[in-house]
Parts: sequence; structure tokens; C-alpha cells
Amino acid sequence: MKLRLTISARIALLSVVLALLSNLVLVGFIWKQTSADAVAALHREIVEQADALRAVWRTGALPALADAITHAREPGDVTLVLAIYDSRGHRMAGYAPRHLAVPLADTPFRIAMLGGEGVWASREAGYTLHPIGDDWLLVGRPLDLIEAQQIAIERALALAVFLSLMLGVGTGLVLAHYVAGRLNTIVAVIDAAGEGDLTRRVSLVRADSDEGDAFDRLAERLNAMLGKIEQLMAELRVVTDSLAHDLRSPLARLRTKTEQAVLIADPHQREAALGGLLVETDLIMRMLTMVIEISRSESVTRDRFTLVAPADLVEEIGELYAPVAEDAGLRFLIEVEDRPAPLPLHRELMSQALSNLIDNALKHGASGAQVTLRLSRGLEGIVFQVEDRGPGIAAADRAQALKRFGRLDTARTTPGAGLGMALIEAVARLHGGRFELADNAPGLIARLVIP
Amino acid sequence: MSRKILIVEDDASTAAYVAKGLAEAGYAVEQCGDGRDGLFLASEGIFDLIIADRMLPRLDGLAMVSAIRAAGISTPVLILSALATVDDRVDGLKAGADDYLCKPFSFAELSARIEALVRRSDRTASEPTRTKLSVGDLEIDLLARTVTRAGKIIPVGAREFNLLEFLARHAGQVVTRTMMLEKIWNYHFDPGSNVVDVHIGRLRRKLEEGFGTPILHTVRGAGYRLAVEG
Repeated sequence: MKLRLTISARIALLSVVLALLSNLVLVGFIWKQTSADAVAALHREIVEQADALRAVWRTGALPALADAITHAREPGDVTLVLAIYDSRGHRMAGYAPRHLAVPLADTPFRIAMLGGEGVWASREAGYTLHPIGDDWLLVGRPLDLIEAQQIAIERALALAVFLSLMLGVGTGLVLAHYVAGRLNTIVAVIDAAGEGDLTRRVSLVRADSDEGDAFDRLAERLNAMLGKIEQLMAELRVVTDSLAHDLRSPLARLRTKTEQAVLIADPHQREAALGGLLVETDLIMRMLTMVIEISRSESVTRDRFTLVAPADLVEEIGELYAPVAEDAGLRFLIEVEDRPAPLPLHRELMSQALSNLIDNALKHGASGAQVTLRLSRGLEGIVFQVEDRGPGIAAADRAQALKRFGRLDTARTTPGAGLGMALIEAVARLHGGRFELADNAPGLIARLVIP
Repeated sequence: MSRKILIVEDDASTAAYVAKGLAEAGYAVEQCGDGRDGLFLASEGIFDLIIADRMLPRLDGLAMVSAIRAAGISTPVLILSALATVDDRVDGLKAGADDYLCKPFSFAELSARIEALVRRSDRTASEPTRTKLSVGDLEIDLLARTVTRAGKIIPVGAREFNLLEFLARHAGQVVTRTMMLEKIWNYHFDPGSNVVDVHIGRLRRKLEEGFGTPILHTVRGAGYRLAVEG
């Protein structure tokens, strides 16, 4: 739950901060811009008015100017400030404070309090002050209007900021809820895996389309990883189980034979009995070597691969086994249907896998009188297969045989076959291929497909 | 003069077991327990064979072998290791070892391999390339790839010829099943069934049927030997 709160809070906070920040920047810009525009307009108006009045003064002197000032205000315009001051700052004519509070100096444009008393002391105005002879011409306008505008804009903007804040919090919560929801399904699966349940998978939101979102991609990778872990765990369990099971019988035989050998008085017979012990220990050693080989094959790197022509590989191993099969009274056929170009293979492990397949066929398919080692090219890659004409494995049991790579109960009497199958499976996986069983009608086809 | 063998092995019981067996077989044995001492002793160049473990204190066995080879010393090296996978063997041979045997091992296997290695270095030193091998009345022409016994031609297949050539090159010595699998078929795994025995059986029938004396003998618990006398 801690994860959820933290992540949600962070995402919500982030979206709020981002919304606020972008709004503040926008609002600040608008505020500043409207204020600057309004002041600039005021500036222009006042300067134009002042220029016009000075032109009047130049042509008609003070009386004409005083006359112009009285008529300069348009009807209804009560805020325009127009006045003539004498050299001491006393108003001579116009609409303005009686005494001017700003210094008497030539001023192109300025914003200040014009008067020291009454309404003039409470509001700022933009003004120009120009000398006309000994007197001064003041043109200006209070900023009330602009300020009122500013305040209206500020209120609107404050409301906008508040709304965007609410919106940010809202989207943040929704977003956080969504992300947390997606993450929680993944976390739940990981937690389950951590507690040992490797069967659960994350369900994808857009399972049907190829382009799922980032969460789907994460979930897909996770599912693939869990699948691999589950498979490896299952294999490890099978190998361990079958190792423990398979070791019991040779060890038991070893123990019995040792006991018997100890009791034999005749030295020649005892020697023969001891020789039998060696055979049993060799069998156990061979099984252990195979277990190591299986576990190692999981971590074999590609640099162990060499370029091998599959046809040569098949012919070599076939040549090794042909006399064995023939001595056992079986027909042994090597069928090379295709001669693919050499490809990188782990020659030893591939040979060992094929040798296990042939060995299995010779042991379990001996009743069928014929074993075929076949190399062909299928749709999915190069197919190495061993066919026998023995009893085969019923279709229902085949999945079981592959799933546990284990031996079927009917084959429990032959030692080591479980490990043999596990090794074949491991070799197939090492080469990115797969191992499958099929019906030879009658008999069994054991097939190793390497892409 | 007895041959000198250096054993570099940190496991005292294995070292004692090997040393005792080799001493009984008539070799002069020297032992040391770590890789650096092993390298030091080996660089004297007085040994006919070095038997080395892989996991040694102070200097790893493979590093020791590489260093020996880098120093220009060509004494045959046999690695005796519990690292038993195919890739482990390849690593050992790549490092410059001449043979690789996995623990646990049978003494017969070790002794056969030691004999093969020691004799091989003798042969390369004393004999030029031979074109004919003969064991008693059996003659093998390596150029024409023909086999005759008592003047009578025996037809053999290509693999059988290689097998016979290997046995003849080690005439009088024990050759084990795994040695044949490694050298003739280049397989370093144990196929489990008696595959080598079947091949030997066929070769033996060809060599011995119709002739009075056996020539390819089974050495119980070890392997086979091609020799005039059993």
C-alpha cells in the first residue's frame, strides 16, 4: 500500500504543479500584457492631446489655450485632466488639483499622484507637463479605469488559477488511480510469484492488438519471464525427482552386491563380484555426469557452438549405433533426406541427445524390428528424428511424457531414461528448438526440431 | 631408467592413491600440492608426464598448464578433474593439456592413458612418420589403407580401419573404450550402451576368424589390447 500512496501522490502532485505552473505563466503574461497595453494607449492619448493644445497655444497664446481647454473634454468624459499652472504651481484654468504636487519640470510622461489633497491624493494618474512661456500645461488622466480593468482581469485570472488547480488535482487523482490500478495488477502477480505461486499472469488490457501500451509491454515481458521461471523450476524439480528416484535402484543394487561380495569366500568369485560393483558405480557416475551436463546446458553460451553439417552429425552418430542395432536384431536405417548447409551447433550435446534418442528407441522399440534415424527439413527448421516400430506412447500419455520429460510408469524398469529425456529437452532449448513426440503408426517418432 | 611423473594435486587421498598405483607400475613419482610449486617443478623439464588437477590452490591448473606451454616445455600433461562436462574438457585441451580424465576415474583408465601419452612422446622423438604398422602377422598399410594378416587381405570399412590403426599404434598397450570414443569418433560423452564393444567385436571377427591365434584381446575391467600374446 505504501507503494500505491507514494506513486499516486507523486503523480497527482506532479500534474497539479504542472497545471498550476503553466497557468501561472499564461496568466502572468496576460496580466502584464493588458496592463502595458492600457498604459501605452493612455500615453498615446495624452501626448496627442498635449501636442494639440500646445499647437493652439503657439497660434493663439494663453486665451486661446484656455478656451480650447474648456472645450477639450468630450461630453461625458469627466476624467481627463487638463490645466494651466503658473510658475509657482497654482492652477490658472482647467480641470485639475488646485496645487500641483508633482515638480514643475518638462515631463514627457509619468505616473504619479497629481494633487496633495482630496480625491487627487488617492489616485494615480498618467500625465505630461510642458512649459508654455512662464506657465505650464498639464494633460493627464487618472489610472482608475485601467486599475478597474486590471482588477477585473485579476479576478478572472484568480478564478482561472483556482479552476486549473482543481482540474489539476482532479486529473492527478484520476491519473494516479489509473496508474496505480495498472501497477497493482502487476504487483499482485509479482507478489504471488514471490510467495511461490508461479502460475498467475498479468492480464493484458489490449491483448488482441500488437501495439499495447507501456504497461502491456511490461506485463508481457513479466509474463514471459514468469513462464520461463516456471518452466525451469518444473524441470529442476523433475530432474531432482528423477535423479533421486533413479539413484535409488543402482545404489540399492550396489549395496546388495557389496554385501554379497563381502560374504564370498572364493577369491575368484569375489573378484568377479567386485567387477559387478564397478559396473553399478559407473552407471551412477554416468547419471551424475548427465545431471551436470543438463544443468550446464542452461548456461552454455553460443561461443561453444561450432559450424557442423547436420548430415555429417547424423551419419556419424548413426554409424556408431548401426552395428549395435544390428547386433540386437533390428534393422537400422539412416535416412538423410536433405543436406542443409553447416550451421552453428553444439556438436557434442547434439550428438549426445541423438544418442539418447537412439538408445531409447533401441530399448523401448526393440519389438518393432526397425529403427530409423532421419534428417529432413521441415517448415520450422531442421528435423532430427528417430522412429521406431515398437509399442509407442499413447497420444494421451504423450503430453505427460513430454511435460514431465519423465518416464511413463510402464518404463519404470529401465534406469536413467528420465534424465535422458531431460537432457534432450535441454539440448533442444539450448539450440532454440523443441522436442516432440509423434505417432509412427505403429511406433513412436521422437523429433528434435532446430530452427 | 624409470620414467618420472609429476602429480600436482591438492587432495591428499587422491594424490596418494595415484602415486601408489603409479609407483607399483614402475614409475618414479613426485608430488606437490599447489599450482605454483607445480609450475616451478615442471619448468625443470625433467618429467616424462605431468598429472594435474584443475582446482588447485595458488595457481589454477589450467593457468599452470598454459604457463608451462608458454615456457616452451612440451612435457605431456594429463588433467585429472572433477569438472566433467564436455565444455570443461574442451577448455582443458585448449589450455594445452594432452588428455583429460574426469574424476572419479578407474585406475585402469588412468594407467592406459598415461602409457599412451608416455609412449607417444617416445615415438615422436625416435621414429619418423611410418607408412606401415605391423603386429605379429598383421600388417597395416597406412598409405593404401589395406590390412593383411599372414599375407591374406582382410576387407575393413573406413571406421574399422581407423580403429585398427589406433589399436596398432598402441600395440601391446591397453586401450580403453573412452579413449577410442574420443579419438576415433571424437565424442566426449558416454553413450551408455556397449557401442564400442560392438564395433570391436566386429573387427575382432574379421581379424581372427580363420586364423589360429587371437590377436585382439579383451582386458577385463579396462579395455582392449592388440598384441601377439594374450
